[in-house]
Amino acid sequence: MRPETTMTPSIKAPLLSRRTRRWLEPGLTYLFMTALAFIFMIPLMWMLSTALKGRWEILAWPPQWIPTTPHWENFTEAFSRYPLGRFMLNSAFLVAANTVGQLLAVPLIAYGFARLRFPGKNSLFVIVLGTMMIPGHVKLIPLYTIYHRLGMIDTYWPLILPAFFGNPFFIFLMVQYMKTIPRDLDEAARIDGAGTWTILYKVILPLCKPPMTIIIVYTFLWTWNEFLHPLIYLNTFDSFPIQLGLSMFKGRYSVEWNLFMAATLISILPILILYFLVQRQLIGGIASVGLKG
Amino acid sequence: MTKKVRNFSYMLLIVMVLLSACAGGQATTVAPVEESTEAPVEESTEAPAVQEPVTIEWWTVSSEEYTEQVQRDLAAAFESTHPNIKVNVTVLPEGGFSEKMTTALGAGEGVPDVAFFWDNNWFPEALDLRPFIERDNFDTSMYIPGFWKTRALWNDTVVGLPLGVGAQFVMYNKDVFDEMGVTYPSEDWTTEEYLTKVAQLNDPDQKRWGSDRPRRPFRALWFNYGPDVRLYSDDSMIVDGYLNSPGSIAAYIWAWDLVDTGATPTPADIEVLGTEGTGPIDLFMAGRLAMATLNQGHMLNALNAGVNFGIVPEPGVAGNERFVNAWSLTSSIWKGTEHPDEAWTFLSWWVGPEGQRYLMENGNLFPSINSVLNEYEDADEEYAQAFFKVLELTQVSEWRNAHPCNSTVLRAVGDVWDKIMFGEIERDQIQAELDAIVPAAQESLDECRERLGG
Repeated sequence: MRPETTMTPSIKAPLLSRRTRRWLEPGLTYLFMTALAFIFMIPLMWMLSTALKGRWEILAWPPQWIPTTPHWENFTEAFSRYPLGRFMLNSAFLVAANTVGQLLAVPLIAYGFARLRFPGKNSLFVIVLGTMMIPGHVKLIPLYTIYHRLGMIDTYWPLILPAFFGNPFFIFLMVQYMKTIPRDLDEAARIDGAGTWTILYKVILPLCKPPMTIIIVYTFLWTWNEFLHPLIYLNTFDSFPIQLGLSMFKGRYSVEWNLFMAATLISILPILILYFLVQRQLIGGIASVGLKG
Repeated sequence: MTKKVRNFSYMLLIVMVLLSACAGGQATTVAPVEESTEAPVEESTEAPAVQEPVTIEWWTVSSEEYTEQVQRDLAAAFESTHPNIKVNVTVLPEGGFSEKMTTALGAGEGVPDVAFFWDNNWFPEALDLRPFIERDNFDTSMYIPGFWKTRALWNDTVVGLPLGVGAQFVMYNKDVFDEMGVTYPSEDWTTEEYLTKVAQLNDPDQKRWGSDRPRRPFRALWFNYGPDVRLYSDDSMIVDGYLNSPGSIAAYIWAWDLVDTGATPTPADIEVLGTEGTGPIDLFMAGRLAMATLNQGHMLNALNAGVNFGIVPEPGVAGNERFVNAWSLTSSIWKGTEHPDEAWTFLSWWVGPEGQRYLMENGNLFPSINSVLNEYEDADEEYAQAFFKVLELTQVSEWRNAHPCNSTVLRAVGDVWDKIMFGEIERDQIQAELDAIVPAAQESLDECRERLGG
């Protein structure tokens, strides 16, 4: 007897073939992601567009994304107006010094909190975390007084020294990460004759690459974009970092947007390059230390 | 050696290496702060009795009126005629000067000898200049009286000298007026004429507005509505009858009517188009505002860009006195300076005729000294003449500076202003709204008067 095929609707042929679906799903995903990426790129593209316009074309109507006459000379004009190359080098020096400071101090302090036992440890940790709650502006005047009395105003010391005492946020991050590393590793190393320092530098630190990446990237970003502290502590023009240099384009009555954007575009290049270089480690690091949003 | 001792030694070694790497501060690697490149004073080996120059610290800002380089050149010009004084110039971004000065003044140390004291709250920290003025017979009458009164005198002392002048006025684009067939405004135009022209000049097809809106109440345009249009009485005792006087209500109604024309950019438009407060000038220069309340810095922008523009004072009410929002920068000596004589020598040169002439000729400063202002190279041009006339009007600052509580009470009226700007109240509700805020404004005034005095 011939089976009645009409009784089995569940095995109807799909609307799209498997091959089509195999291409369609990722295709749609990529399309969506490309659209999102395009939206996120709009400010950057507007910045580039502004950097190539004449000074007063920025708010012209209708808006022009591609200027009829691109003013490439805005870039040279911006660099000839102020020593932006020098400012960027100064920022690079500050980034390097701060990164070294954080990388030296944070693991040391975090290891103490994560692994060692000493009286008042928990209270001390709460105090360290508590310093994050103090608004930066409250500390400005006392710190200015201290650095002035130490003869450090108009030097880079006030901008570097705090890094060598560790950032509480990084310390917290590192402590939490170190706590996830099994103590068995420490004990095994100790049985093999390793001391505390050896355990820290040869066992724990090699496993702490994700939080270390976060520390490097965030220190880079924060230091590169820092405006207030260099403003307060530095006087000599040639020692200014890039953010102070960029703000020189803002006048009392108007802003030279085209030059400002040209200079800003160049100034964010190191950050973009850093991101492209370390994005894999950065995303991995963020995921592994639970730092999102 | 135990492990602990060895580890401690390592730590000590690291710290010592770091410290030695950073030692030397300014002169070495940590702070690539250059020694001054400006003409070093030569040490004569033959005349050991030569006096070492005194170095004074001068903090200033870079702006359209005087760039960083112009001010360094100014300091060099001063040093060339005053070899016993060296001026260490710190040029700061305009947007950060107040934070830095407030921090230094708050700390009470590390304050420059000479600087702008443009914030009235800093005046108590300024050196009283009267002894120097008397000693040197310094002619203070050379300054335009209004600016001397508002920016140099404070509590019967002289807290500084006024550098340059600035003022707000209405700039109008003549080409747009011609295109729309609207007559140019006259010097004595009224607020009613303003509304009419704004509506006539509006062109939604070209995304062009008739004008911008006032940024806040109780400035020149409000004062033009009459002597009772103030936040409170002259003796700083009463709010009722001033803040809600008939003149004040008329001024608020004018603002409501302006918003109602639909011919001005909304606060949201301005916020989006001018994040740095530059919306009006950027829109005016882009040809999207037919008129705007701008200042002399913007006037020079328009001049350099070849815009065909005219200048008139802010509109008023027929028969009433006209006012202007004008300013000058108080330039002062810190009262804690260790070199008051040298600081005075520099200050009186910088803000005196020589310095202001230098900044006018090499920068874009409009001097606060009439005799120097008259030397302005375009003094006979239409725009300069119009600007000079605006400077002759009575300044709003004369009232504001004499009434330290004006900012406090102004905050109390902020809500009504916002409601009008956002179109949240009807025209006939304005009087009731103003009457309703009188008790709160009176309370603010009473509290403030106890704190700061009348």
